[in-house]
Amino acid sequence: MPGHTKCVNPRDRLRAVSRRVTDPAEVLAQEATERVVELVVNALDVNELAARIDLNALLGRVDVDAILKKVDVDALLDRVDLNALLARVDLKPILDRVDVNEVVQQIDMGALIEKTDLGAVIASSSGGMAAEALDAVRSGAVGLDGFVDRWVRRVIRPKQPWPAAPPALLAAQAEP
Amino acid sequence: MSARPARGDLVSLQGHYAGAVTRFAGYSIDLVVSTAVFALALGAISWGVRVITGHDVSWNRSNIVVAIIFVLWQFVYFGYCWAVSGRTPGMALLGIRVVRADGTILPPKQAVLRSLVFPLSFLLFGLGFIGILVQHEHRALHDLIAGSAVVYSWDARAAQLRFLARQAEVPAVGIPSPAGARPDPAS
Repeated sequence: MPGHTKCVNPRDRLRAVSRRVTDPAEVLAQEATERVVELVVNALDVNELAARIDLNALLGRVDVDAILKKVDVDALLDRVDLNALLARVDLKPILDRVDVNEVVQQIDMGALIEKTDLGAVIASSSGGMAAEALDAVRSGAVGLDGFVDRWVRRVIRPKQPWPAAPPALLAAQAEP
Repeated sequence: MSARPARGDLVSLQGHYAGAVTRFAGYSIDLVVSTAVFALALGAISWGVRVITGHDVSWNRSNIVVAIIFVLWQFVYFGYCWAVSGRTPGMALLGIRVVRADGTILPPKQAVLRSLVFPLSFLLFGLGFIGILVQHEHRALHDLIAGSAVVYSWDARAAQLRFLARQAEVPAVGIPSPAGARPDPAS
């Protein structure tokens, strides 16, 4: 073309030639590598490999203290949304597994009343002197019942022990 | 021998057959209450008649009409109370109640039957009541006929808690508790 000088860098030609050679070679190498990896993974028995790993020895080499020192627990807890976590917990099956009656049986009510204000609450809600007198009368009558009953049994000497309560009430008492 | 059982024993007595002393005490209270109510009713009637008619009415114990009304009133008093709640005021005070022989709630029909056959236990010098002492379920003659039994119904555990609460309050008001005043709850 007149008035136009065309300058060609001889290295460009070389680069173009080498790119034409190296690009297919790179693709080929990539495919070969993927194939090899696939073959190796398929050939590996991961379970057997895991079985051969001595996790105890591995964990023995881990300095847990050092890891824990690096952990900012406060920051971790700040990131935990406990409300959301508790909202996901279904408490009903957990509570169903708890035997509340057994728990209550283990409570020492005497000590509880002595050490807390529960005694004052009960005393203030129990009718005061009237309830106290009624308890005393009933307790006395029950005591005399037992006294008379023991003497009667001593005299007549029953061959079999007498039932303490009607069957339905006995069954109700036996239930936890 | 102490006549008073440990409070721990009382806790386990709810639902057990009631003994003779408690039942007799309950009946005595009922007799006083029912007779007092009857006397009050007669007095009210006398007062009403005198106000309305101006005539004085005197009730004589030997009057057969009064005796019959009194007996009927007794049936109503006991029968109604047993049918409605299984207990009379006297029984409620002593913490006992009437149930069926198996321990379930006494139906009204059975309660009425019990009140009707109740007088039978008074026959032959009250021999019908001997069953409360010697029968293995502490059932009197009228109980056996009506298919009923009497059990403790008061919550001795609540009584024990009240007792402990009162004892716990004593030091709080500055009065020293006497030694040995607190029963051992575990006994």
